[in-house]
Amino acid sequence: MERKPQERESKKESGSVPFPEDNYTHNIRKAGERKLDRRGFMKMMVGAAGIFAVSTLPWGGLAAKELAGIGKRRYEPAKIADLNQIGVGEAVEFAYPGKHDSALLVRLSDNDFRAYQNACTHLKCPVFWSKEQGELVCPCHHGFFDVKTGKPTGGPPQRPLPEIELKTEQGAVFATGVKRYET
Amino acid sequence: MKRSWRGVIYLALVLFLSIIVTQQTVNAYFYERYQLVLVLCVINILIFPLALLIYRKERDND
Ligand code: FES
Repeated sequence: MERKPQERESKKESGSVPFPEDNYTHNIRKAGERKLDRRGFMKMMVGAAGIFAVSTLPWGGLAAKELAGIGKRRYEPAKIADLNQIGVGEAVEFAYPGKHDSALLVRLSDNDFRAYQNACTHLKCPVFWSKEQGELVCPCHHGFFDVKTGKPTGGPPQRPLPEIELKTEQGAVFATGVKRYET
Repeated sequence: MKRSWRGVIYLALVLFLSIIVTQQTVNAYFYERYQLVLVLCVINILIFPLALLIYRKERDND
C-alpha cells in the first residue's frame, strides 16, 4: 500500500517515540546493498574460483619453463675461499649460484664443510652461524637450523635451507651445485 | 519456493578446494616439484568451470 509522503511526515510528528514507520529500508546506505542475495553471493564465489584459477597460471608457466630447461641447468663451480682463510668453527658468506643468492659456508672440522643458501625459509632474512650455539640462527623471528642437514629445528621456519654441494681442491673450497629439496 | 542453500554450500566447498590447490601449487613450485605444479594448475583451471556449472544449475532451479 502506498502512502503519501505528507502522511509519513505527519506520523513522524505524531510525537510517539519511536515514531511509527513503515520504511524499513532507511538503514541501507550502500547502493545495491540489498542486491547481495544468495545468487549474488554465489556469483562472487564463482568469480573468486576464477581468480584463483587464473592466478595459478603463472606458476604453471614458470614450472613448464623450469622443466624444459632442467637438462641444461648446470651450475658453474665457483671458488668460495682458501682453506687457510677459514678456521674450524668459522663461517664465511658468499653468493652462489647468482650474485644475489647469498650463502653461508661453515667449517665444522678439518675436512667437514657445510654450505647453505642462507635466506631463511621463513621470510628470507639472512641466517647466520652461531658458533656458541652450534646452530644456524635466524635473528628475525628466532628460527634455528641444524648445521649438519639444514633442517629447521626451532622457530617459524618449516622448510630446510637449500644445501650447496661442495668440493675441496688445491687448498680451496669450491661450490659445485645446489641440492634440490627432497620431500 | 523454499530457498535452498545447497548451491551456496557446494560452491563454498569448491572455492575452498581451489584455495587449497592454489596454495599447494606455490608450495610445490618452491619444492621444485614442477610436474606436480602443472598437475595442480590444470586441476585449478578445471575447478572454475565446475563452479560455474554448480552456479548455473542452482540458478535454473530457482
Ligand atoms: S625470517 Fe627467519 S625466522 Fe622469520
